[in-house]
Amino acid sequence: MIIADLKQKQRFINKGNVYLPHIVIVDKIIEETPAIRTIRFHFKEEQLNREFKFRAGQFAELSVFGVGEATFCICSSPTRNEFWECCINRVGLVTDRLHKVGVGAELGFRGPYGNDFPVEAMEGKNIIFIGGGIGLAPLRSLIWNVMDNRNKFGNIAILYGARSSSDLCFKYDINLWTQDKSIKTILTVDKADKDWTGKVGMVPVVLKELAPSADNAIAVVCGPPVMIRNTFPVLEEIGFKPEDIFTTLEKKMKCGIGKCGRCNIGNIYVCRDGPVFTYAQIKKFISDEY
Amino acid sequence: METELRIEARNLLEKGTVKSIIGFTKGSLKFTTTPLFIRNPDDVHKLVVNRFIKNNLAKYLAEVKECVGIVVKGCDSRSVVSLIQDKQINRDNVVILGIACPGMIDVFKVEQLAGCDRDLIDDISVSDNVAIIDFGGRRKEVELSQVLYDSCLDCKCPVPTEYDLLVSGLSHIGRNEDVGKAKIQELKRMLPEQRWTFWKEQFRHCIRCYACRQICPVCYCERCFIESSEPRWLSPMAQWQHNLGFQIIRTIHVAGRCTDCGECERACPQNIPLRSMVGEMSDLVFKMFNYQAGSDKNAPSFMAAYEVTEAEEIFR
Amino acid sequence: MAFKKTAKNNITKLMTAWSHDFKIMVPTRKNSVIEFGDWDGKDVDFWVWYRNTVVPPKVFLLPVWEEMIRFSKNNHGWGLEVPGSEQKVLIFGVRPCDARGMAIINDVFKDGYPDYYYDIKRRRTVTVGLNCVQPYDSCFCTSMGIDPAMSKDVDVMLIDAGDDFIMEALTDAGAKLLHGEFIRSASAQEVQMARSMASSVTGKIHRKLNTHGLSEKLLDRFSDTELWEEIAAKCLSCGICTFLCPTCFCFEIYDESFKKQGSRYRGWDSCSFKLYTQMPMENPREEKWKRIRQRVCHKFEFHPINTGNFACTGCGRCIRLCPVNWDITQVIAQITGTMDSSLTEPSKNKV
Repeated sequence: MIIADLKQKQRFINKGNVYLPHIVIVDKIIEETPAIRTIRFHFKEEQLNREFKFRAGQFAELSVFGVGEATFCICSSPTRNEFWECCINRVGLVTDRLHKVGVGAELGFRGPYGNDFPVEAMEGKNIIFIGGGIGLAPLRSLIWNVMDNRNKFGNIAILYGARSSSDLCFKYDINLWTQDKSIKTILTVDKADKDWTGKVGMVPVVLKELAPSADNAIAVVCGPPVMIRNTFPVLEEIGFKPEDIFTTLEKKMKCGIGKCGRCNIGNIYVCRDGPVFTYAQIKKFISDEY
Repeated sequence: METELRIEARNLLEKGTVKSIIGFTKGSLKFTTTPLFIRNPDDVHKLVVNRFIKNNLAKYLAEVKECVGIVVKGCDSRSVVSLIQDKQINRDNVVILGIACPGMIDVFKVEQLAGCDRDLIDDISVSDNVAIIDFGGRRKEVELSQVLYDSCLDCKCPVPTEYDLLVSGLSHIGRNEDVGKAKIQELKRMLPEQRWTFWKEQFRHCIRCYACRQICPVCYCERCFIESSEPRWLSPMAQWQHNLGFQIIRTIHVAGRCTDCGECERACPQNIPLRSMVGEMSDLVFKMFNYQAGSDKNAPSFMAAYEVTEAEEIFR
Repeated sequence: MAFKKTAKNNITKLMTAWSHDFKIMVPTRKNSVIEFGDWDGKDVDFWVWYRNTVVPPKVFLLPVWEEMIRFSKNNHGWGLEVPGSEQKVLIFGVRPCDARGMAIINDVFKDGYPDYYYDIKRRRTVTVGLNCVQPYDSCFCTSMGIDPAMSKDVDVMLIDAGDDFIMEALTDAGAKLLHGEFIRSASAQEVQMARSMASSVTGKIHRKLNTHGLSEKLLDRFSDTELWEEIAAKCLSCGICTFLCPTCFCFEIYDESFKKQGSRYRGWDSCSFKLYTQMPMENPREEKWKRIRQRVCHKFEFHPINTGNFACTGCGRCIRLCPVNWDITQVIAQITGTMDSSLTEPSKNKV
């Protein structure tokens, strides 16, 4: 029951009260798809803008005062500290309100919580990022983290898919990645419209087709649960070891700090022991509920 | 009574007419029974019929997809009919094993009379119209009506109206509508402000466990109104205002389908007199519309039908 | 710490002295429900009739609902305020099972991030324990490693010694209470006699729960759908067992607001409810049997893996107050294959 690096994280607790959010101000809103938007914000308190640090993979609890709180991964990169971003899928009460706020709105922010991708341990290795739909959000944080230190890593490939081309998120980032010759970017959609020139097919199927080399490589997967479950066996088939496959799991959360009890999978709490897990760890889960 | 039921239950299971039987068996506490689900004909000896089979098993029908047999008392059978009227279950999918109910003993009332808790009472038995309580070497004999549930004292129909088998053997004696309705009458005598204060104080104790809703056979909504977040009708906060609001709306929602079985009040761990609300609602429905919940499986659902001749006062 | 004693006749006076610093909560009977209520200042003798409350004393550390943050919007944006700290509370008459429950909850809330609201309440709460003399037939604390006659999880432990209470301070906060004219020293003999008398209570607990190898057996049968469906069949998915359990601590956080003002609250939640794990696209515990499995396995497998303790103190409230008599001791007996070991003497149940 040890939370990694608690002292580091305790610095960002507001007035010693872990449930008291910091106030953040919305700087920019990017409408990714009809139901997904990215909110860029900075802290109202100047000192936090200077000092706040997080690591790729961690999440935060964003709140609309008077409506509620919800969990989002921080999808901006830790290497870029002028602003922070969260990607919001409109699926319920809080996210609906988050889709209605405008620039200048004040929201609540609690975080960063959870564990993170072991970026330093990935140095010198080849990395393949596999994302589906809004699952690109936590990956994006790691991708830019890696890209901002490009020479520390080996070959980089990004395989990203969505239901259709209008469901692809972070199109501006995808453009930059596609233009960058030092990485390989492959896009796929389940259903192509007439203008689509990329691949067609579900991500696990395309992955099998591409069969990237598992030699000195790490895979980072994120997407809808059904996509993750179907991607794991493919990765194993093409030679990836379970310890080298990373993912982030999603569960309903409230407190975000391992006290309210609801995000457990067996004896582990996703908010406290995750959300980043290796496939090897997942295989050892004593519950079938992920 | 038990033998007759067990023979029929065995028959039904062996023939394959039903996949399972929902009945009662001995509980793990004194003077308690507990619901039992049997699939194997050899288990029928576990079924019991006695004066402690208080649960309304119709609740479980909402979940089953296969043909089942269900043991019901008078009030429970009407809940089954309510479910049939609401098209939640198919009459062909359920074999109703009716018990002509002799009235259920309220162990809480026995505890009051004996002056000690249930686990310290040695025996409760009934002979004719007399309830015999043995505790700590002493014996107390009281009129049966003193130990029956209020809802049983006030019972409108102890014998199921809809059944495939009727098990009888004991008549329902000890009915006493005055006693059964005493709590409700007392509330009616109060001024509205007094009544409001009464309910406010009662609902301060509510912890929103939702046992009242979960045990009620006609509360079968997939998503209860209280769980709606858009719009948020009431808060999940267990403050008296929201607690009382929840119960008032629930009472109105079950109007015309509630058979006043009293299970909600029995389930409440804080002893809130819920039957005073739903029971009164049940009565109002009868007085205003001459409609008794669950008495005719072919009648349309109460709230889903309108006749021109209905009481027009409420529409003014 | 040295043992003290006080005459039962002096308890009211002692509580009066304590009430200068503390709000005192004692067992009361309201609506025929036993619960910890405000002491009204009158003479007390609840030990004569008090067995145990319906709502456990965890409610003083983790209330049914509590306000966490108040917010209001003005020209400068949102202002956040944390409601002020609370009065000191003394809970008189905590049973060993409930005291252990509070200790188990303490493990959870003290681990990792500090829980601001829990910490305030824990600091301001003092517990005076009381040995059990008349357990219910639903009690099985002895199976969970708890001694109904003695607790180390309270600040002061009282043992009923006829005309007196033997008192033992177990913490500094407890020691502070045991001063004044009504407190005398107790001799080793008196303590020995009282303890000896009190220990006879273990013979009154007949219900058992077999914990031997339980975690492993649960792990073994985790995917046995048929078993869990059978176990869950009669459960109603209400919240009674979880809310009234001394060790259950699950909560939810929700906002209430009206125009530009509002509050954020924390309140009890239950893993038995369907919506507990409801996500927008899926619910990992949609089916009732999965929720029951979660509850049983959390208490007897997951929590022990994390902390070494079962999340159950054998207080029996879940059995006593379940509307359909779902019985955890029978369920565990079924899972471990020791079916007949949990039942008490058969009830006669004559018509």
